[in-house]
Amino acid sequence: MTQVAEKEILLNGTQAVAYAAMYADVDVTAAYPIRPYTEVMDTISKLIADGQLDAEFIIAEGEHGQFEIVKHASLVGARTLVGTSGVGWLYAMEAIVVTATDRAPVVAVIGNRALDDPGAYGVEHNDALMVRDVGWLLVWVDTAQEAFDTALLAYRIGEDPRVLIPVGVSMDGGFLTHSEQIVRLPDRELVKSFLPPYDRGKLRVHPDNPISVAPQVNEDWVTEIRRQHDEGMERAREVIKEAYESFKKTFGRYPGTTRDITMPENPFVEPYMVEDADVILVGMGTVSKPMKVAIKNMREKGVKAGMLRIRWFRPFPAEDVMKYLANAKVVCVVDRDYSLGSPFRGGVVYHEVRSSLYDLDERPKVLSFIGGLGGREITIQDVEKIIKIGVEQRDTPLTRHTYWVNVRGDPW
Amino acid sequence: MGEEDVKYVEITYRGIFQKRLAKYVAEGLVYMARDMGKSAVSFGRYGDSPERNGVPAKYYVAVGNVSEEDLIGYSTRVEPEYVDVIAVLDDTLLKGVESWAWQGVQPINLKLRKDGAMIVTSRKPMEEMVKLTPSKDFQWTLGKLNWDRSFSGLWAFNDDTTMERVWGAIAKVRPDIVDIQHVVSYVKSHKKDKLNERLKAVEEAYEGLVIKTMNPGEGVEFKYAPPRLLTWQEMMEGTAIPAVPRGGRNEQFKRGTTKTERPTVDFDACIKCDLCWVYCPDECFDKTPDGYYDIAYDYCVGCGICAEVCPVKNCIVMVDEKRLPDYTRPYGMWKANKVEYKKWLQNARAEVRERPIVPGLGR
Ligand code: SF4
Ligand code: SF4
Repeated sequence: MTQVAEKEILLNGTQAVAYAAMYADVDVTAAYPIRPYTEVMDTISKLIADGQLDAEFIIAEGEHGQFEIVKHASLVGARTLVGTSGVGWLYAMEAIVVTATDRAPVVAVIGNRALDDPGAYGVEHNDALMVRDVGWLLVWVDTAQEAFDTALLAYRIGEDPRVLIPVGVSMDGGFLTHSEQIVRLPDRELVKSFLPPYDRGKLRVHPDNPISVAPQVNEDWVTEIRRQHDEGMERAREVIKEAYESFKKTFGRYPGTTRDITMPENPFVEPYMVEDADVILVGMGTVSKPMKVAIKNMREKGVKAGMLRIRWFRPFPAEDVMKYLANAKVVCVVDRDYSLGSPFRGGVVYHEVRSSLYDLDERPKVLSFIGGLGGREITIQDVEKIIKIGVEQRDTPLTRHTYWVNVRGDPW
Repeated sequence: MGEEDVKYVEITYRGIFQKRLAKYVAEGLVYMARDMGKSAVSFGRYGDSPERNGVPAKYYVAVGNVSEEDLIGYSTRVEPEYVDVIAVLDDTLLKGVESWAWQGVQPINLKLRKDGAMIVTSRKPMEEMVKLTPSKDFQWTLGKLNWDRSFSGLWAFNDDTTMERVWGAIAKVRPDIVDIQHVVSYVKSHKKDKLNERLKAVEEAYEGLVIKTMNPGEGVEFKYAPPRLLTWQEMMEGTAIPAVPRGGRNEQFKRGTTKTERPTVDFDACIKCDLCWVYCPDECFDKTPDGYYDIAYDYCVGCGICAEVCPVKNCIVMVDEKRLPDYTRPYGMWKANKVEYKKWLQNARAEVRERPIVPGLGR
């Protein structure tokens, strides 16, 4: 393990990703403003203006065009950065889906934002989750450091010839996009050794390599193309593991860690005090930080609580979920999203977790907590309440699957 | 050391015009606190829409002798429960802060906790400032940073030493958060140009800060009750809200604290053409029985459209908001005493910024 002096700089989540794109030496970025993504394009444009990054900066006429631009650039061999939020992501949906099916490994930042209506800026994960079924790699980060590190990793993973799949790096609007923390920036030379140049090989659209992408076909093609994509998604698991290991070897620290923030070395999930826990919280994004404080508080009162933060949502870490949750009595999945009309009215992550646990001989109870929508905070006190409900449900037959956190009009 | 030991600095600023300034003030404080061996993070109050001209907005710095991860855990909030220092970057914000839809107008020092301090960038004498400052029921410190408010564009930063002065002022009132030595060493290590000017500004603010101890109840009474928000059962379905009754206005969403300029009306010149009434995007004008148009200043955002469309020269003139202490409506004043009103008008219009005239509109 090499130890190198890293530069410490104060950045918020969006700035951290823009800096990562600079370190990754992106060739093309397409931009269209929408909060909270906007500061990504602001920062990138400043880095270009200051001469720190040499890249094409293209202002699109809307998000659909924005994503088409980077898809095409990626297919001709350019490393790209793109991003958006909320309804911007949905407006680009047609382009977003074909980016995956054409296997263009663009990296997209999604500053998670509630979908309209009502008009709100705050975080909700339903925007990014709209692509959960169509072959994007999806990852959620919870600090500015993890945003930086994960964006670098995203290029390495997505561009790997075994994968060639776009990566969506999600971060909570406000709580991470607009919150500054100290980020360690690595030595730029080391980044070069960590991140090889993007090479599509025979899949590069170029006069020297005459190929055509995205033909019109009959029913006799589509299934195989989806199956192939499925295989690429599955291969990504191994590539993700390799990339995290290589990151640690190159930079001397595990992705996401800082002087103050340590965690077990697992790329897919962050387990916290799970070993002896009766009640384990599951969540994605910045909710992890109040969760950790609440767990410490509850443990002082003798409640054995723990947390499993899902980092990579696609591919979904079913094995890790089984491994870390198998011995819990109750699992409380906190969803910053909703899936109206779904089984037991639960959230999206709840269903993934519940399904992952199905083949265990002894399964914990799984409860769904929907909260923090539209930017509402999930406070330490809210989490303590969730843990208490988990404790109450431990020894009684399951009577209720889903709770809305702190909603006005229901008892809480 | 736990959550209760965390100190919060609140920087209250005008959206767009002071966004960079607020962010850079916060950034410096984080670095300084870290140099003092503490953990520190900063965050914008995200719901504020600071990308809109003049909207009162807030930036926060959290400082504590706790691990950075715990600090992030405590401060992953929309806004903190309490603040220890408030830095107000424009004294017209003392009239109230309404940054969120449906929250109502809040007093500037709503979250200040006992023994806290509020520093206001202002040219007003301290006695005048006290008359504009909401009271608290405990003792606290009011500081005046004798300096002009600094405005610029959204991505521009007016590097005019306001930032350095705010740091110096905070070090004066709360050295436990950042002390003067660390302000100075931060400026020396991070700023290469105009170093002497910057250090002089820090010192001027530190030495020259006008400080007053505010006793319980001192200042103006500014009652704020958070609105009762509806339950999901009570709300109309389909994201619908009821219309405000004709002739009424929305009590929970006024927007008047956004303005940095306001229209003044010379009723003696008014020809009752009603164009101001027609064009005001915020429907601030009320027709009076005698056909004039009164202005609901607490709803006026200061966009200047009425002044542009008014066909009579010098009938509606935009003036700097800092020249007026409150939102008293003009028509009643004029009716009550025309001579006094003339004086009020002259005083308000004593310094008028040149406004570009939009061709095709009025005048
Ligand atoms: S400046 Fe004039 S037009 Fe604009 S909101 Fe105020 S009253 Fe209305
Ligand atoms: S636009 Fe001017 S002249 Fe016309 S009614 Fe309004 S104040 Fe009077």
